[in-house]
Amino acid sequence: MSATILDGRKISAEIREELKGEVSRLKEKGVTPALAGILVGEDPGSTTYVGLKSKACEEVGVKEAMVRLPETVTEQELLSTIERLNSDPSIHAIFIQLPLPKHLSEEKALAAIVPEKDVDGFHAMNVGRAWLGQPAFVPAVALAIHEMLVRGGYDLQYKDVVIVNVDSMVGQPLASVLVQNKENARANVTLCYPTTPDLASHTRRADILVVSVNEPKFITADMVKDGAVVIDFGSNFVEDPVTKRRKTVGDVDFEPVKEKAGAITPVPGGVGPMLVTMLLVSTVRAAELTLS
Amino acid sequence: MPAEVIDGRKIAAEIQAELKERISSLKEKGVNPKLVAILVGEDPASLSYLRGIARTCGEVGVLTDTARLAENVTQRELIEKIEELNRDSEVHGILLFLPLPRHLNTLEAESAISPDKDVDGTNPISAGKLLLGEETFFPSTPYGVQELLVRSGHNPDGKHVVIVGRSNIVGKPLMGMFIQKQKGANATVTVCHTGTTNLAAMTRQADILVAAMGRAKAITADMVSEGTIVVDVGVNFIPDPATGRNKQVGDVDFEAVKEKAGAITPVPGGTGAVTSIMLMVNTVRAAESLSKSRG
Repeated sequence: MSATILDGRKISAEIREELKGEVSRLKEKGVTPALAGILVGEDPGSTTYVGLKSKACEEVGVKEAMVRLPETVTEQELLSTIERLNSDPSIHAIFIQLPLPKHLSEEKALAAIVPEKDVDGFHAMNVGRAWLGQPAFVPAVALAIHEMLVRGGYDLQYKDVVIVNVDSMVGQPLASVLVQNKENARANVTLCYPTTPDLASHTRRADILVVSVNEPKFITADMVKDGAVVIDFGSNFVEDPVTKRRKTVGDVDFEPVKEKAGAITPVPGGVGPMLVTMLLVSTVRAAELTLS
Repeated sequence: MPAEVIDGRKIAAEIQAELKERISSLKEKGVNPKLVAILVGEDPASLSYLRGIARTCGEVGVLTDTARLAENVTQRELIEKIEELNRDSEVHGILLFLPLPRHLNTLEAESAISPDKDVDGTNPISAGKLLLGEETFFPSTPYGVQELLVRSGHNPDGKHVVIVGRSNIVGKPLMGMFIQKQKGANATVTVCHTGTTNLAAMTRQADILVAAMGRAKAITADMVSEGTIVVDVGVNFIPDPATGRNKQVGDVDFEAVKEKAGAITPVPGGTGAVTSIMLMVNTVRAAESLSKSRG
């Protein structure tokens, strides 16, 4: 029996429809949610991502205010730009498109964004508050995976959630969200890393298995419990053996695992399409908070 | 075969001896490490804890002072007091006693403590830095657990640590500390909730089991696999039928679990003994950093 496919594109579209309504309601109250993005240089990958975010803003009615800075910008100029956006009451949310050119400190730049506008959730104040169960912004990957599970009707309370990743973009924020003593959380969370001794013994007991290691076929069918929910946030560029063309695959050996899992995210088409949408969700929330 | 009983008092004494040297060095440079506790109201448990801290400070040679504020202090007055201590160059550590009276905004007060002086890791930004692996002060109880494990020869590196209890003071910071790619960490960590139906199945997976739920003797022998290292962070007071008075017990059914575990910490005399010295370690480190930055 084949797993339910968790369709990130469909969920993303649903959320964007809901956001349109929320944005309209905010505009009626005199607040136009605005997202400012800082793009330094001309890196094609970064430019593409910023383009996606701009388009998404337009789609749901969020005002976008992208700031383009030259590759040669000094740290002082970058920090001044962030300061200006921090003080601007018409801007509710700020993000910095990473990576930054090597002469700039990402740590300093991210720490300079005022926590109330840090919709990427990278500022230590947001990381700490989220971890302690206080209202805070959380990185998009964690929000996306949580939404996918909640909207899919998967109960989280006391479930055995195993996450193979401990970094600040995936494992930590997801653990942060799922461990809280509240509804749609209260899970028993295990954080593993790719070289955890006897990793299979951990993955095999998981009711919900999340993986992000960037290694194709890292999770094989024997590592997965029957009926488990498998969330794949891997991204690997491989050559298709049949067509000889390059394609993107996840960390999960999809076809065999699909026969064992209860639900599974495809790659592409799983968590990825939801990321920009979750950034918009946080932006709208930042705007809503200015009303209270 | 009964477990090795890990002597928390002995470990605390080792740490204290190391600290005394560092404090002497500071005093030679004219720096007197100083910890100030902020206490709002007259809660007897807080007063008792405060006395304990003052005693430990006295033993190691750290100056201590208490900022006593009335129960009905305003939010503004509390924040002003914290900011005053932030600015005071003679003060290296600030300890805010919790809980605060209900009319006060705790989160705002916690966030006002300067991270350079936040020696118990109370400010949420310190919790964030801990998780991100940035330099910060670890809260004293989980810091004590880590020191106790490392110094007793049970380094969590490469091990599966299961923590029962997900409090902001112990369970969560301990998870954050143990997942770091650093010495005394690098572990696979599970955090479980006490309400879990088959909790025993989870706890039996542990190489190192940390009990931090606040339930007397809740960890029983059937929940522990042979040879597991058991760390008991629980502090519970139950009536002792023999004396008719209250006695202190942990979250672990010590006598029964001792027969199965590889090593075990007693209560009292285990993690509790190490907790207060870690607050001193953090205060001394704060004094060292603050005096260096002033040149």
